[in-house]
Amino acid sequence: MESLVTNLLNGLSWGMLLFLISVGLTTVFGVLGVLNFAHGSFFMLGAYLCMQVMHVVPSFWLGILIGPLAVALLGVIIEKLLLRRVYDRDVSFQLLLTFAILLVLDDAVRIIWGAGYHVVDAPKILAGTIPLFTHSYPVYRIFLVVIGPLIGISLWSFFHFTRWGKIIRAAAVNREMAEGVGIRVPLLFTAVFAFGSWLAALGGALATPHQSLAPSMGESIIIESFIVVVIGGMGSFPGAFAGALLLGLLESFGTVFAGRAQMALPYILLALVLLIRPRGFFGRET
Amino acid sequence: MKKQPNYPKTGIFLIFLIGFLIGCPFFLPTYWTFILGEILIMALFSMSFNLLLGYSGLLSFGQAGFFGVGAYAAALLILKGWQSLSLILLVGVFSAALAAVVIGFLCVRRDEIYFAMITLGFGMMLFTIAHNWIELTGGSDGLPLAALPTLRLPGLELSLFDPRNMYLFILAVFLAGIFLLWRLVRSPFGLILTAVRENKERLAFVGADVRMVRLTAFTIAGGLAGLSGALFCLFNSMATPDFMHWSYSARPILMTILGGSGVFLGPAFGAAVFFLLEQVITHITDNWMIFLGAILIPVVIFFPQGILGTIVKYFDREQETDRQ
Amino acid sequence: MTNVPILKIEHLGHAYGKFQVINDISLEIPKGELTALIGPNGAGKTTFYNVVSGRFPPSKGKVFFDGQEITGRPAHKIVPLGMLRSFQITNIFPELSVRENVLIPLLLQHRRGYTFFRPLSREKQLYQKADEVLSKIGILEYGDKPARELAYGDKRLVEMAIVLARKPKLVLLDEPTAGMNPEETERMILLIKELAERFGTTFFLTEHDMKVVFSIAKQIFVLHQGGLLATGTPEEIRASPQVREAYLGGGTIKC
Repeated sequence: MESLVTNLLNGLSWGMLLFLISVGLTTVFGVLGVLNFAHGSFFMLGAYLCMQVMHVVPSFWLGILIGPLAVALLGVIIEKLLLRRVYDRDVSFQLLLTFAILLVLDDAVRIIWGAGYHVVDAPKILAGTIPLFTHSYPVYRIFLVVIGPLIGISLWSFFHFTRWGKIIRAAAVNREMAEGVGIRVPLLFTAVFAFGSWLAALGGALATPHQSLAPSMGESIIIESFIVVVIGGMGSFPGAFAGALLLGLLESFGTVFAGRAQMALPYILLALVLLIRPRGFFGRET
Repeated sequence: MKKQPNYPKTGIFLIFLIGFLIGCPFFLPTYWTFILGEILIMALFSMSFNLLLGYSGLLSFGQAGFFGVGAYAAALLILKGWQSLSLILLVGVFSAALAAVVIGFLCVRRDEIYFAMITLGFGMMLFTIAHNWIELTGGSDGLPLAALPTLRLPGLELSLFDPRNMYLFILAVFLAGIFLLWRLVRSPFGLILTAVRENKERLAFVGADVRMVRLTAFTIAGGLAGLSGALFCLFNSMATPDFMHWSYSARPILMTILGGSGVFLGPAFGAAVFFLLEQVITHITDNWMIFLGAILIPVVIFFPQGILGTIVKYFDREQETDRQ
Repeated sequence: MTNVPILKIEHLGHAYGKFQVINDISLEIPKGELTALIGPNGAGKTTFYNVVSGRFPPSKGKVFFDGQEITGRPAHKIVPLGMLRSFQITNIFPELSVRENVLIPLLLQHRRGYTFFRPLSREKQLYQKADEVLSKIGILEYGDKPARELAYGDKRLVEMAIVLARKPKLVLLDEPTAGMNPEETERMILLIKELAERFGTTFFLTEHDMKVVFSIAKQIFVLHQGGLLATGTPEEIRASPQVREAYLGGGTIKC
């Protein structure tokens, strides 16, 4: 019973982090039409910058405030300077560009912070464990399970009830129409890209007490978020949520019954979805 | 059809180049023979990749997976005592092609962006399998080979541990592979592939099963990637999971973009440039990847046709103005 | 006796989500009868063509081509049966030469598409056939040029050549004269007439230019808000009060 709950909480906490990253990826794709290969690098930068801030001022909360904002700023620079130049080109070139950015960012992290592992402690309030049945469970993970849906609901409300949120959704569906009603699309693109980067970095910062930091963080998360958006459906908010939770739970429970083969489970899920419902659970008909 | 500069000059140039390549190991220091051997293998890998990008318009981030399958197939056969090099290579090709057919079937159903994501995913899946299935693949240590089969030619038995023999063997396989690709892109199928890239909707509406065409291209590319992988395994006397990591998938991509996806030999040229850059940069600093990315960014933005592509375009324009 | 209509549609309907784009359309086109589909914008013409040509399957209804049911079949399976279409926005292979554009459907028709090792240049028979098509359409002189270098009107002709290369029984033309100047339009009208007469190809076209419609169509279908409003000869359609009313909202029938 208790290992069921443990696995459930593990799956949910990891799922929430995945959700944060995936929703940024899928929103950027929905509005700009660009798949950002460097999205995982933003996640990683968010984590490393948070850690860096904490070395200067030992405050986790300051870390998750400043880190993601810095990454968002980087996002603005990348979008204006680089991405903008390839919007009218073949999709392959956009992919190649974001891939090149990934190479630069990932190696930059390795150069600046070294190739080794780093560990960040959770803030005092969220540190430690609480008793759960006969064992104890890390408080921080429960925090993630709680804050995930909170952020999710705020995001959802933002997209559905605020003016800017509706504008973004409208632009995602029909760019020309959005331009036609006076929305400054270039500004919107920069804003959305920055927002997506911010979300990824926030996920990274929140992930720091959850896992150790390493320069390979970016690449492993990008593959998982790719799987999430393919399963959930590109451009779909509920799809990112459902896909992330599903993947998180699958990976968590997978260790129980599949042992070493657990690593193949996400790919098997991917394969199944591609066979049965290629557009993803919530995806739109192409 | 791809602009093939049919100048007799190009033919003569190529003959000289091949002659040079054959003669290399006899007058260059051994170190360069090694480098050239690796360039040739990577050039073949990149050319196979370009069958997808330049000719079919498919950007695959997972070709390293098939490269690795070929490498492991070769390693496993050698460890089992197989001695026939041609059979080993053939099995490498077919096992990689088989993996490509299975994975390709899932990938070709979706278009560009999804295709990129999914190929990355499945490529890494192969990496994960190679990394974790210790009983079969030796895990992260890979499969080191203590002995290599000897190269048997009529009247000769050559050890592949001699760098010169290894290099010439690689060159021979490389030339065969390039010749195959050349015939392929000049064939009716080659035209259909280009049509898939140009306008797959129109192609479907003149009666082609676009998925089938793509799957065929994907399988051939995978098989040739496997051939390169098998060669690489022989070259390194080992097969390791690193060969399948997406950072290895990045190599043919970078080489092709550097050289130019629009020219038949672009990727091969790009492979040479890539290795030369690597030699230069690693002399200065350890941080190779960041430079690579930093070089790729302006190439993608300003020189999408790559180096060779830009040169060819320049000469074509010269020809046009000469005509006028 | 082959009095089977080349195209027969039964209660065809298609919806995007809740929005019913076309609703309960039934019609027949006899072999060789040059037919036109007209209707104001948003009437569902393009969706109708997309469903019939196999771009996507209809929500309901049936499509019969030359007596065979083809409902829901994808385009590449319908083409070999003898139905091809052109697109409103010119759909050709821009980087390939004009000749290669036409070679492709021929390769597919003669099942040479999966030939891997023979050079393309050896397919002399097909090259000949391609040139025949090009000269019929009148663009043989551009054979070696990359298709993207041609003038707009000539590009439309390349598309015609692509569509006609396989000698289809039925050709759907989606606004063939869209964007053409009067001279090019005249040329296209004559071309369609000639091809219909000479080769017995049935042309089914949709058009906004009523001059084109009324000068070549023998039968006209009028689409309005997703449904079939009227059917008849050009005279009948011109005289029909319902048609006038439908067009009063969206446009006029100038002819």
